[in-house]
Amino acid sequence: MNLSRRDLLRTSLLAITVAGGTVACGKGGGAAADTNELTLWYWGGGLSDKVVADAVARFNKVRLTPSVIGGDFKQKLVTTMNGRKFVPDITGIKGENIASLREETNRFIDLNTLGADKIAGQFVNWKWSEATTKDGKQLGIPIDIGPGALYYRQDVFAKAGLPSEPAQVGAAMSTWDAYFAAGQQLKRAVPDAFMVESVDGIFKNVIGQSGKRMIDAGNRFIGDGDHVRKAWDQAVKSLELGIAAPKLEGQDRTAARVNGTLVSNIGAAWGALDLKNEAPDTAGKWRVAAMPGGPTNDGGSFLALTTECRNPQLAFEIITWLLSPENQAKGFTDAALFPTNPAAYKLPALTAGDPFFGGQSVIEVFGPAAEKVTAAYEAPADSAVYQAFVDELVNVWSKGKNRDSAWTDAVASAKQIAERQGVS
Amino acid sequence: MVATVTRSTAAPPARQQGVLRRFWPQYLAISPFFILFVVFMLIPIVFSLYLAFQRWDGLGDTEFVGLQNFAFLIEDAKFWLALRNTVLIWFMSTVPTLFLALVVANLLNSAVRFSSFYRIAFFVPSVTSIVAVAIFFSSVFSTQAGLVNAILTGLGAAPVPWLINEWTIKLVISLVICWQWVGYNAIIYLAGLQAIPSELYEAAKIDGAGPVQTFFRITVPQLRPIILFTVVISTINGMQTFTEPQVLFSSNSANAANLGGPGSAGLTAILYFYNQAFNNNQYGYGAAIAWAVFLIILVFTIINWRIVARRDRPAKVRR
Repeated sequence: MNLSRRDLLRTSLLAITVAGGTVACGKGGGAAADTNELTLWYWGGGLSDKVVADAVARFNKVRLTPSVIGGDFKQKLVTTMNGRKFVPDITGIKGENIASLREETNRFIDLNTLGADKIAGQFVNWKWSEATTKDGKQLGIPIDIGPGALYYRQDVFAKAGLPSEPAQVGAAMSTWDAYFAAGQQLKRAVPDAFMVESVDGIFKNVIGQSGKRMIDAGNRFIGDGDHVRKAWDQAVKSLELGIAAPKLEGQDRTAARVNGTLVSNIGAAWGALDLKNEAPDTAGKWRVAAMPGGPTNDGGSFLALTTECRNPQLAFEIITWLLSPENQAKGFTDAALFPTNPAAYKLPALTAGDPFFGGQSVIEVFGPAAEKVTAAYEAPADSAVYQAFVDELVNVWSKGKNRDSAWTDAVASAKQIAERQGVS
Repeated sequence: MVATVTRSTAAPPARQQGVLRRFWPQYLAISPFFILFVVFMLIPIVFSLYLAFQRWDGLGDTEFVGLQNFAFLIEDAKFWLALRNTVLIWFMSTVPTLFLALVVANLLNSAVRFSSFYRIAFFVPSVTSIVAVAIFFSSVFSTQAGLVNAILTGLGAAPVPWLINEWTIKLVISLVICWQWVGYNAIIYLAGLQAIPSELYEAAKIDGAGPVQTFFRITVPQLRPIILFTVVISTINGMQTFTEPQVLFSSNSANAANLGGPGSAGLTAILYFYNQAFNNNQYGYGAAIAWAVFLIILVFTIINWRIVARRDRPAKVRR
């Protein structure tokens, strides 16, 4: 193409004018009176793209504009909400941010005013209550959850003379002590294999089973309580028994999972997708059994309506449709989103056998687990306080730090972090 | 200079207006930088100073807490660990980087063939995305699947847990920085080398100086202002090391925020600031960390300046 300088100037001027015009139009579209347009923010894999596309086609009375927001989703949402311009009408909230955003009751619509209280019973109640404020407002509807289970290598279990069918494993290793005893047997039979992949994972799950966390609903620090100490001791015990692997991450962990060094791990339902992606060659060798000590949850997001929402009634209709059992089943197939509505667990998309797990119908493990998770109050500062314990536990695990001094340091550091965040 | 020129030509009362009217195209031409600077740098800097005295979760109301954030900072063992790591990594990366850069610059200066090719080749790392570089290094130094350990085991040595051990973590981060910035500093040194008059070298040759003597007696002293510049720039950058540990130890797990790998051995001050503000929603505390780091960089820069610049002064007096 032959482009003279004059042409270039003219084109750029035109482009600037057009861009300016678009911005001006955009501002007009942001006015609260316009109820013919709704925006939906989610992140890649946060909802099934196909279900979202169906919603756009179905709710054609309005122009529903979905946007997949990359990068730090919470940061972009908070920044936009602070700017009070171009705030999405409907937005996803990641599970790790619900505790802090739940405090912002004047930034989100109480969905109970739109009829959410009538459908509450359809969803798993412990997840539903994570988005309920202290004064009973409902700020979000749960998209997905991460019920936990024991992923294990059937071939190695069989080789070690351990029970190897999911039902037998679940029954034989129903407590942490039984699981650890199996780990010792494995160690004797297959010396280079490890039963416990993550020491802090044990800590996390024992806490998850306790129904309490680091800070109670009265904003008091309970990180030095018995439930935390018990979880700490259980985690350290796996190290002392010699059944915990050295700390591995990323490709190293993948390599160890493939070569049979790491033979079991406790993970959420969504972890299955990671396992399939990172170790496709081990297809058929893995199985899923009930978690020792009872199920816990890891993660799971919400859909919420911001106070800027231009048509709350219709937006609520859209999110309840997006999260209907049928669409949740599609979300499970497309994006490994484990349904929050147990009615979906009976649908074929979930009951089908999974070849990666040797044809096992894993919903038989995850379904009951999802309904049995213990609810716990999570304060906004919880994850920061919790991290202090994990850090010290990792010091014991990877640096051989003395377990008692590590515990003392963890409690001191956790108290300090809690104090910084205004916890008494 | 502008003021003196106008004073001699325009009448005093109309001076201010006259300047604007006469030089508006120039002011307009430089304005984009200043407008962007005010919007994206100055306002955030002032706001962060304000935040350092508040407690703020990023969305709700700010609450004035006085110097409490700084009081917490002094007690916070993690913060001191992060500072220690930052200084260690800065030292472990800057010293070899600048030394190698000087060597490379000398080689480039004397290279006869393909010199442009070498210059570009050495400069390319510094314009490569740090994220890509860090991902590449994390693969190379992976314990079980990494290239370095594959070579080590091939030679019969035991594999090293590069990204797990406290010191090798710092070593790998330093290596990333070193790899990336040797070329950049070498190009700066090269410019300095080419400004040294060749008469000096000729005189040294006639007086019988060898290449090592020439390097230490002529090249290094002549390059002193350039070396000062690179040391100051490396200090400012080194104190703000962030992306390398952020990518090397990024975790997919949503709940486990990145705190610089096992034992927080790769936790730098800026990574800790990021963690506190953006992962823990403690924007006020984060701002306090950022300002503490600023003060430390300031002190470091002044010390650097004094050390390198003071030696120049007596020399001038003697002359």
